[in-house]
Amino acid sequence: MKKVRKPMLLVVSAILVLATVLAGCGSNSTGKNEPKPTSTSNNIVEGNTEEAPPASDVWEFGSEPLEFSMYGHYSWYDVPAWDSTVAGKWLIENKKLNIIPISAGGNHDTKLSTMIASDELPDVIWGDRGVDVTRLYEAGQLVAFDDYLDKYPNLKNWMGPDLNLLRHPDGKLYQFPNWYTGRPAGNAGYVINKKIYEELGSPKLETTDDLYSYLTEVKAKYGNEIIPFEPHRAIDMQGFGVLYTAFGEDVSYSYLNANMRGVPEGDKLTSVFTNDIFREAQKYISKLYRERLVSQDAFTQTIDQVEEKVMQGRVAVFASSSPTTIASKAHNEMVKTDPDSGYFMIWPIHKEGLDKNKIYPGSYTSLGWNVSVITKAAKDPEKIFAFLDWYTGPEGQSLLFFGPEGKNWNGFDEDGDPIFTGNYDPIEVAQLQKDHDPIMWNGNTGFIDPAKMKYEATLPPAEQDWNARYQSEITWKTSSNATEFINMDPQPDSEIGIIKQGVDDLFLEAYAKSIMAASDAEVDAILDKAEADAQKLGYNKLLEFRTEIWQANKKLLEKK
Amino acid sequence: MSQTTTKQQHAVLLQQRKRKPNLVMRFLKQWDIQLMVWPGILLIFIFAYMPMYGVLIAFMDYNIFTKGDIWANPWVGWKHFEMFFNAPEFYTVMRNTIIISFLKFFIGFPAPIILALMLNEIRHMIFKRVVQTITYLPHFLSWVIVAGLTSSLLATENGSINMLLSSVGAISEPINFLSIPKYFWSILITANVWKEIGFGSIVYLAAIAGVDQHMYEAADIDGATKFKQIYLITLPTIMPVVVIFMILQIGSLLSAGFEDILLLAANPVLRPVSDVIDTYVYRVGVSNYRYSYATAVGLFKAIISIGLLTIANYIARRSGNSLW
Repeated sequence: MKKVRKPMLLVVSAILVLATVLAGCGSNSTGKNEPKPTSTSNNIVEGNTEEAPPASDVWEFGSEPLEFSMYGHYSWYDVPAWDSTVAGKWLIENKKLNIIPISAGGNHDTKLSTMIASDELPDVIWGDRGVDVTRLYEAGQLVAFDDYLDKYPNLKNWMGPDLNLLRHPDGKLYQFPNWYTGRPAGNAGYVINKKIYEELGSPKLETTDDLYSYLTEVKAKYGNEIIPFEPHRAIDMQGFGVLYTAFGEDVSYSYLNANMRGVPEGDKLTSVFTNDIFREAQKYISKLYRERLVSQDAFTQTIDQVEEKVMQGRVAVFASSSPTTIASKAHNEMVKTDPDSGYFMIWPIHKEGLDKNKIYPGSYTSLGWNVSVITKAAKDPEKIFAFLDWYTGPEGQSLLFFGPEGKNWNGFDEDGDPIFTGNYDPIEVAQLQKDHDPIMWNGNTGFIDPAKMKYEATLPPAEQDWNARYQSEITWKTSSNATEFINMDPQPDSEIGIIKQGVDDLFLEAYAKSIMAASDAEVDAILDKAEADAQKLGYNKLLEFRTEIWQANKKLLEKK
Repeated sequence: MSQTTTKQQHAVLLQQRKRKPNLVMRFLKQWDIQLMVWPGILLIFIFAYMPMYGVLIAFMDYNIFTKGDIWANPWVGWKHFEMFFNAPEFYTVMRNTIIISFLKFFIGFPAPIILALMLNEIRHMIFKRVVQTITYLPHFLSWVIVAGLTSSLLATENGSINMLLSSVGAISEPINFLSIPKYFWSILITANVWKEIGFGSIVYLAAIAGVDQHMYEAADIDGATKFKQIYLITLPTIMPVVVIFMILQIGSLLSAGFEDILLLAANPVLRPVSDVIDTYVYRVGVSNYRYSYATAVGLFKAIISIGLLTIANYIARRSGNSLW
């Protein structure tokens, strides 16, 4: 027995030792790797200085192969495999561009921190403006665009002087905006289930009282089968935030958002908790919730669950900050089997006595949604910028929205809009836009909206694209400009940042609690307590901090 | 060497003279066995001890851009600990941590033992195997799946539990289980027990299999009932295993859970009953880049855990079943 065992032991232990050695090597080599990227980043600086002298030399996108890595800083987002999209494939074949996706794996905070700590930053990061970008900027990890702006002029031309709002304290520009626009944009509002609406005799749906009685009728007629009011994920406010805007003229959903949490009164930001309009809205929503007129799962459901309900037509009213994506998909699916079903949008609900033209469920900023930044890890920042600039220009945008040139469109007319061909296939275009959604990193609203409308305008309303139709008829008109409320987040590890974190936690809890309250008096009690707790945390300091930024923003906007 | 020296003297001399080489000799003699131990020690050293100097950032203001060079950060003493103890959430977080971990301990720890005892009494082998397999399968599901399953089961709209309750007439309107604080602990513990009961019972089943069958035969002859046999034979025999696992469990008492709570308590209304140390560290520390703060809270938790473990071991040593 012993003799048999010994060789076995030997083999097993040898394997184990090997494994350890390998593991040791692994950790060693990563240890060695650490200084490496810094040396490459040094090279980049050198590369930069090399490239800087021939400043007039414009690099033409597509003239040489270009490859860079890209990372999306969101828990719900991953950069798709580059050749999996029509546009990506076309760009590989025609412009020699390859993008290597870096996945956040659903945990973006940890992922970015790990990449920073291990000096393995991606070449391009796509994410929200604010805290994270500031962190990278302060650590000197970002590439400034100023040298490139004139050489590659699309961004400068389309965005105009608002670009200055994106500049950092050193006066340089580090962020490439997405969906920047000079004109109102947005998708917020109310979507109505057509079939249910008609079965109930198409009642008037204009005021909050109308909405309440409509929801009651839905509940009485359909019971638990149909959800009268579906607010999307209430944890992000969504449909409830939209309802909040019904109670005041010129009141914006963004007052409730985490980057604001304050109501402008005069030239100061004041507490949300003590705001009368907010309280009135909370009492109304709470009444709906109590009488089971809104989805009881509002605070726990996932996007998939919301989508499933809307797709099956199990909701009577669906409201959110962007209901159009799901609703248009559901509408197109539902009319396939029953042309009388589907969804339509209504003019935003308002409280009796208010001017319905001063109700703004949506908001937009001229800076758009989020930004791309180029890090110092990039070997050829200028070439990447050249691509981004091409991408945001007419050619890039048309590629994303209408596919490669030649099929649906060919060339541009004198207004600069694409010329649509006789082969234009609306179904293909709709599919392209949906598939390209995850790679629209620097959408140019000012170009693409008129281009989309140019085609849609030639069609009768019923045949128009669902999204485009309601955007032009309703949601764009009911979006307010919130550009003056940007950049209001403190650094998270600063004193104000710690206050903000506490207030955010408190707000979310009080928000959900007050909606689930058993009576109006309880709503008041919850919000009173929240106000007291928030003041203890230092809410006023946060509001003062934000008021200052707001006033500074206003001055900047007046200047231009 | 003189033949007259007694054997004993010789041995003592030899030992004295060869004390040092002896260690090497002993090592060389068991080199094959040593070879099996060292990789493990090395692994633990590299991955568990070497990174440990990182706890120092609990006493610094750590900036992530300093990367590996933690000495570049300023020392701030007990600042982060003080901040945690003075945080408004401190009381809630500690209370929830203690309550949830004690619930998990008092319900989640005995449950697999009871299941193992029950399984042991099943005479039908196929049925026993099937039950065993089905009960341990959930262990391999991630919490994302279990939490998704739980929230669909408990949903108010088309949730199976609500449909079942209303079809038997127990409720008139669906209950919003995952938004009412008083239900949360029960849901959390039930999901935990369901997920881990089968896997936990494997080790106890193995211990039970080692019980001498003759004792049962003798007990049978003496007229002991099944329950008496379990109580007087099975349980005392597997007690050492139970005690060891209990000590280990006590060491992780303050780990009230992380993924399960994070995923099941999606509604902020539940935070007063669901926020525990780990979720707090994640939300306040890691998500906001307050690494020093997160480390300080983690260190605080680790120190209490070591204390608990030592106490538990001390008590267990008196019964003769201690870990060390």
